[in-house]
Amino acid sequence: MAGSTILEARNIYKSFSGVPVLQDVHFEVKAGEVHALMGENGAGKSTLIKIVTGVYSKDEGQIYWEGKPVEINNYQDCQKLGVACIYQELSVIPPLTVAQNVFLGREPRNGPFIDYGKMNRMTQELIDRYQFPLKPTTVVDNLGIGQRQLIEILKGLSQNSKLLIMDEPTASLSGREAEMLFRIIEQLRSQGVSIIYISHRLEEVYKLSDRLTILRDGKNAAVLEKEEIIPAKVIETMIGKVVDESAGSKKMLHSDDSAEVRLDVKGLTDATDRFRNISFQVHIGEILGLGGLIGAGRTEVVRAIYGIDKAASGEVTLDGKKLNPSPRASILEGIGFVPEDRRNQGFIPLLSTTRNVALTNYDIIKKNGAAISDADELDMSRRAIKAIDIRPSDPDKQVGVMSGGNQQKVVLGKWLMRDLKLLIVDEPTAGIDVGAKDEIYSILEELAQNGVAVIVVTSDLQELLRVSHRILVMRKGDIVKEFKNVEVTQAMVLAAGQGVEQEAEK
Amino acid sequence: MKRLSQTAMRRLISIGMLLVLVALFTILAGFGQGKFFSSANLIEVVRDASVPAIIGVGVTFVIITSGIDLSTGSAMALVGMTMANIYEYTLLPFKVMVLIGILVGLACGLFNGIVIAKLHVPEFIGTLATMSIYRALTYIIAIKDANGVIKSQPMTHSQYVWLGTGVGKFYYVIMAMIVIVLIGQIVLKYTRYGTNLYSVGASRKAATLSGINVEMTQLIAYVITGFTVAVGAVFTTARLQSATTAIGTDFEFNPIAAAVVGGVALSGGSGDVIGTTIGALFMATLENGVRKLDMNTSYQYVIKGIIIIAVVIFDATYKARMDKKAKEQGAKEGLE
Repeated sequence: MAGSTILEARNIYKSFSGVPVLQDVHFEVKAGEVHALMGENGAGKSTLIKIVTGVYSKDEGQIYWEGKPVEINNYQDCQKLGVACIYQELSVIPPLTVAQNVFLGREPRNGPFIDYGKMNRMTQELIDRYQFPLKPTTVVDNLGIGQRQLIEILKGLSQNSKLLIMDEPTASLSGREAEMLFRIIEQLRSQGVSIIYISHRLEEVYKLSDRLTILRDGKNAAVLEKEEIIPAKVIETMIGKVVDESAGSKKMLHSDDSAEVRLDVKGLTDATDRFRNISFQVHIGEILGLGGLIGAGRTEVVRAIYGIDKAASGEVTLDGKKLNPSPRASILEGIGFVPEDRRNQGFIPLLSTTRNVALTNYDIIKKNGAAISDADELDMSRRAIKAIDIRPSDPDKQVGVMSGGNQQKVVLGKWLMRDLKLLIVDEPTAGIDVGAKDEIYSILEELAQNGVAVIVVTSDLQELLRVSHRILVMRKGDIVKEFKNVEVTQAMVLAAGQGVEQEAEK
Repeated sequence: MKRLSQTAMRRLISIGMLLVLVALFTILAGFGQGKFFSSANLIEVVRDASVPAIIGVGVTFVIITSGIDLSTGSAMALVGMTMANIYEYTLLPFKVMVLIGILVGLACGLFNGIVIAKLHVPEFIGTLATMSIYRALTYIIAIKDANGVIKSQPMTHSQYVWLGTGVGKFYYVIMAMIVIVLIGQIVLKYTRYGTNLYSVGASRKAATLSGINVEMTQLIAYVITGFTVAVGAVFTTARLQSATTAIGTDFEFNPIAAAVVGGVALSGGSGDVIGTTIGALFMATLENGVRKLDMNTSYQYVIKGIIIIAVVIFDATYKARMDKKAKEQGAKEGLE
C-alpha cells in the first residue's frame, strides 16, 4: 500500500545548548501507512516528533506536507494541517460525555445552546465509521484507560486528521485493550489514515508497521520496509555495530557467589499485577543491574523492596533478617534509595545541600537537648561535599539551582553518610552530563568495594553493562533472563527485554 | 442493571443525606405546628437556603474551574453598605440603588477575576486578600452616628420592605433562587461556556489544546459570582431591613460548604448547581434543626465543620474506589 508521501521532514538539525540531538535526519510518511519510529533512549525520537508537532523549533531543515513546504510553530498549526497527536498522558475531560470530549471547543450550537442531538449523531457517525466500541452519551469517568485513548483518537479523526501520531500508546494498556487498539490501527490504515507509531516494543512494531525508521544517536540509522523488519536486524541497527569495548557495547561479567547474601527477595508479587513472583539475591559487594524496557516493572519491584508500595505477597530478607518494608524501617535497616524522579522525589530543590543531606539523617546527627546541633549538621554536609566532590562546595547553596549531576551527588551524599548495607538506584544518570556520569559510576563502584550491595535500575544499556557485575532482565513483570559470568552485549540484553529470544525458541 | 455514572450516584447520595437529616430532626424536634416538620417551618428552611443557593451558583462555577472564592461574604457586606449609603444620603430611586449595588458586586467579581485569571495569583490567597479588602472597605464607608460609632443602618424603603416579602409564604427570594439556579444549571449543561468550565477544571492542558480561552473562562466565573453575591446582598438587606458591617460573615463559608455537600469537587471538573442547591438546603436544615432543638447555636458551626471534613474524606475515598472500578471494568469489558 504505497500511497503518496503525506509528511516529509528533510535535513532536520536540532541541538540543545550546543549538544546536537538531531543531525541531518530524514523522515517520511506515506498516505495510509503505519510507520514505526524506533531508537534507544536518547536517540532523538521524541525530539523529532516534537519538531513535527510544533512543540520545538528546528535549527535547520524543512518540513513538507503533501509535497508543499510548511511551517509548524505550534500545536494548532499542526492540527490545521490534519495532524493529531495522541499523547501518552491522556487529556480527556472525565466529567464530560464521549461526544462532549470529541467536540470540545467545537460543539455544534443552536442559538446559544449546544445541540446535543446533532453532536451525539455526529459522534455516532464517527464511531460507526471506525467501529469503535464507544457510545456518544457515556460519561468518561466510567471508562477505562483504553477507551479514553480511543476518545482521543476519535477527537483527532473528527478533525479529519490524515495523520495520527501515537507515542507509546500501549504503555498503560492491558493486553486486551492493546489488542483492540491494534485492530483499530489496522482499520484506520485500511481507510487511508497514516499513523506514526512510536514504541519500544519490537513485537508491536513487527506486527503493525508497514515501514520502520530507526534513529541512532540523533541520526538516521535505517528505514526498513515491512519484509526487512526482522527482530535481530532491528536490534543490531538500533545499537550499531560498534565492537569497541570502551564504548560499552560488550562486557565480560564477573560476580562472586562466595560472598555472603545480603538481600534475599522471595516470590515478591504486586497487588495490581505489575510484577509477579520475583525472586533474586544480591551479595555483599555486588552491583546487580536490573535491565528491561520501560514499563517492565523494574521500578515497581525496587519500590516494593524499599517499602514505598506494599507487595501483595513475598518476602524480603536483609542479612538474614526478615523485613517488613516501609521507607522508615528501610532507612533504619541500612537501605538507601535514589528514586527515578530526582527532582520530585530525590531532593528538596529549595533547601540547601546541608539540609538535604541532613534530611534522612536526623537520627544520627547530634542533638543539644531536643534541638539539632547545627555544627554537626554542617559537619556532615561538609563531609558529604568532600567525599564525592559536590560542586559548588558551598553547603548553603540551594540544590535546585545546581546541575543535574551535582543534584544527584547530593542525593547520593545523604545516603553515604549512613552505614549503608544496600543501595538502590533507579535511573541514576538520567539527564546528567557525561563527566558527572563517570563520577557517579565510580561512587557506586567504591560503595561496592566497601561491601555495600547495590541494585541499579537503568534503561541505558551502555550504563547497565558498564556498572553491573551481574544483570537481571525483566519483561512484563517477570524476570526473564540472568546474565552471570558470561560475556554479554547490549544486543543480548535488549533481545531478552524484548522477548525476542523466547519467540525464537518457540 | 445499567451502571449509574459517578455523577448520578453522587447526586443520589446528597439527596439521601438531606432526607436523612430531615427525618432525623423530625424525630428529634417533632412535627406539627410550631415544630420542625411543619409547612411554615419548612418554608423558612427553604427561605434560609435561598441566599446561599443563589451565591452558590457563582461559587459552583468557580469551584468547577478548580478555583475558590473566599471573598463572597465580604463582597456581600460591601454591596449592602453601598446601598445603605445611597439610601441614607441620596434621593436616588430604589431601582437605581439596587442597580448600583449589583454593579458593585460585579466590580468585586471582576477584580477577583483579574487577580486570579490575569495576574495568576493563586485562588486561595488571592480571594483571601480581596476578602480582607472588601470587608475593610465596608467599615470605611459604614455609616456612623454623631460619636463616630458605626451604627446599623435601617433601610425601610417601602419597595425594599416589599422585596423581603412574597406572595403569601412564597417569598420573592425563593422565586429568585429558583430562577437563578435554573439559569445557572442551563448555562452549565447546555452552553459552550458551561462545558468550558468543566474542561478548565479537569485539565487546563486539554482545554488549551481544544482552543478554549482558559483565562477568560475563569474570569467570567468570578464576575458571575460577583453578580450572585450582589443579588444575595439585596435580598439579605431587604429581609433585615437594615445594613450592618457584620452582614455576610457566614457567607465566606456557607456557599462553599453547600457546594461541597452537594458534590462539587474542590479539585474541579465536577458537580453542578442543582447539587449545590441541595447542599444549601442541607445546611439550612441543619441550622434550623439545631435551633428547634434549643441547642446552643454555636454547635451548628461545630457540626457543619465536621460534616464538611467527613464529606471531603468520603468523596476522596469514593472517587478513588470508583476510578479503580471503572478502570478494571474498562479493562474487562474492553472493549469487546
